[in-house]
Amino acid sequence: MNMSCLIIEDEPDTARFVCNGLKEAGFTVTWSREGVEGLNLAASEQWGIIILDRMLPGNVDGLSIVKTLRELGKTTPVLILSALASLDERVRGLRGGGDDYLTKPFAFSELLARVEALVRRSVQRADTAELRIADLMLDLRTRRAERGGKQISLQPREFRLLEYLVRHQDQIVTRTMLLESVWDYHFDPQTNVIDVQISRLRSKIDKGFSPPLLHTIRGAGYMVSVHG
Amino acid sequence: MVRLWKSVAFRLAVFCGVLVIGSVTIFSAIFYFGTIRVLIQDVDRKITSISQRLSDKFETQGVEALRTEIDAMLSDKIDVETEIYYLGGIDGRKITGNLSDWKELSSPLDRSIDRNVIRDGNPSSARLLLHQLPNGGLLIVGRDMKDINEITYLVWRTIGIGCVAALMLAIGGTILFRYLLERRVGAIRKTVEEIEAGKLDKRIPISGVEDEFARLSREMNRMLDRIEYLMDGVRHVSNTIAHNLRTPLSRIRGHLDEALRTADASRLAGAAEFSIGQIDGLITVFDKLLQIAESESGIRRQPFTTVALREVVTNVVELYDAIAEEKGIALVTNIEGDPKTLGDKDLLASALANLIDNAFKYGGRSVTISVRATPGAETVSMIVQDDGPGIPPEERSKVTQRFYRLDQNMPGTGLGLSIVDAIAHLHGASLGLEDASPGLLARLVLPPFTSQ
Repeated sequence: MNMSCLIIEDEPDTARFVCNGLKEAGFTVTWSREGVEGLNLAASEQWGIIILDRMLPGNVDGLSIVKTLRELGKTTPVLILSALASLDERVRGLRGGGDDYLTKPFAFSELLARVEALVRRSVQRADTAELRIADLMLDLRTRRAERGGKQISLQPREFRLLEYLVRHQDQIVTRTMLLESVWDYHFDPQTNVIDVQISRLRSKIDKGFSPPLLHTIRGAGYMVSVHG
Repeated sequence: MVRLWKSVAFRLAVFCGVLVIGSVTIFSAIFYFGTIRVLIQDVDRKITSISQRLSDKFETQGVEALRTEIDAMLSDKIDVETEIYYLGGIDGRKITGNLSDWKELSSPLDRSIDRNVIRDGNPSSARLLLHQLPNGGLLIVGRDMKDINEITYLVWRTIGIGCVAALMLAIGGTILFRYLLERRVGAIRKTVEEIEAGKLDKRIPISGVEDEFARLSREMNRMLDRIEYLMDGVRHVSNTIAHNLRTPLSRIRGHLDEALRTADASRLAGAAEFSIGQIDGLITVFDKLLQIAESESGIRRQPFTTVALREVVTNVVELYDAIAEEKGIALVTNIEGDPKTLGDKDLLASALANLIDNAFKYGGRSVTISVRATPGAETVSMIVQDDGPGIPPEERSKVTQRFYRLDQNMPGTGLGLSIVDAIAHLHGASLGLEDASPGLLARLVLPPFTSQ
């Protein structure tokens, strides 16, 4: 897995905060604070992921960098950071070739979860008929799940939730990521709906089985993993 | 002068004055031609025909007959006051007539001319027609114009007085008009000045007459009412925003301050965690305010597409089914037909989620929440109904105000229904809050999408 990360961000505080965090998480990080240099670096080397700010010095829109990069045939995953928070801007960012869009201010755990999801997605994208972790098996054709040979009854939406978590096993996924991918919504429900969805799912797949698979990562999100 | 010209009243007055003078001139011309000219033409016709007759007499009967005829006419006691005849010989001497000798040899012939002459020894202003007889003699037929001149003088004097009077009226009217205009505009200007000085509650006084100014003033007053209402809203919102932002900020500051002073590692960690929680809350408030502002600005974040309400209701309810189960709340859906609208799927889902959130929060324990979607020809609706305590009627209009919270002890931002209201507005929809006795029925009435 390519753990090299290029950060194109002109604001030193944000850049330092992101750099340090990613280094701690095991990434090698290169920081460029300016658009042209950033684009040269992005095009000339093989990066695991590029983190790109939308508003760069000299009125450079980060989106133009993504566009050029894609025109050069580069498929490196790009995470766009922006203070432009509206849904319209998000849609523009994703249509413009970005793979994910995160608005400032953000929690570092949210950034890390998304970066890891992007890095891994670009590694393993093989479509299989079934997903497995420990003794949990998801049959993607019949949309059925079983654990230890026992059938688990899941509603369609719960199956999608579990599928997403298992596809991203050993990675932290945040509540927003779940809401966006499983429910396809870009809004923030007030009550802890996702938490309760997760705990209901947990009671179905973990109750009476060992080891527990669905873990809550405090202050960040959830993770499906064999290890606690 | 330039300053005067800048006055609308003055310009209007000058314009009116010019119009008055113009119309008096036209009127005078018509009057003049209708009276004096007619009289003069009459005289001309008369003297021409007499001159013609006398000239014919000369041609048929000779100079002596003509002389006799003229003498006869001068002594017949008809038109004694005005008639003028003169017959001159070849040598230029007078043969007969009541004019003194005619010395003016180069006068134009055969057309009427005005001359001052001596008639029967008295000066007279006359209109004359000179005619050269075939033998070279001169025949003059004329008429004393004293009467007509008097009439002319009278007419011109009348016109003159009329002009002066009209001009005076125009000037007087101008001054009066200017005064009236100034009084009405002045009232408006005074009010505007007061408002400019910050007295937003001032209104333009409206006089009893329902004229253009009254209508304009009424419109302006309505506009001022609206502005004042909006200003109040802004003031209220900025106060509450300040309150809602200051409170968590001061809490954060207090916690960090205290942790720094004690310099205890666990204290610091706790304070940092607390601060992040508070800041996240602030970010949520910001996001929601932005969302409201965006929706209220009426600018669509993305092009509207056909949204099937069945899908929205199903998806959002599936998001809440787990928490309903956990809290022992019955969450039932009922979708009739296939209602569709044109809109933003995320925003409509967010609106519905907010309504369901409210039902969860305020409905109380073991409440039944019914989420419905109904089709219709004129409107389609999404309805969230609960059998909880409901909202008292007097509070219903307030709950969509920003930061208004029915129960201050409940967690929340007080922005939920404001968001729903703003989203409804963006979709050309309306949010109705009704009594479900018991409970609350929130109805989002949307325009339907039809494929035609």
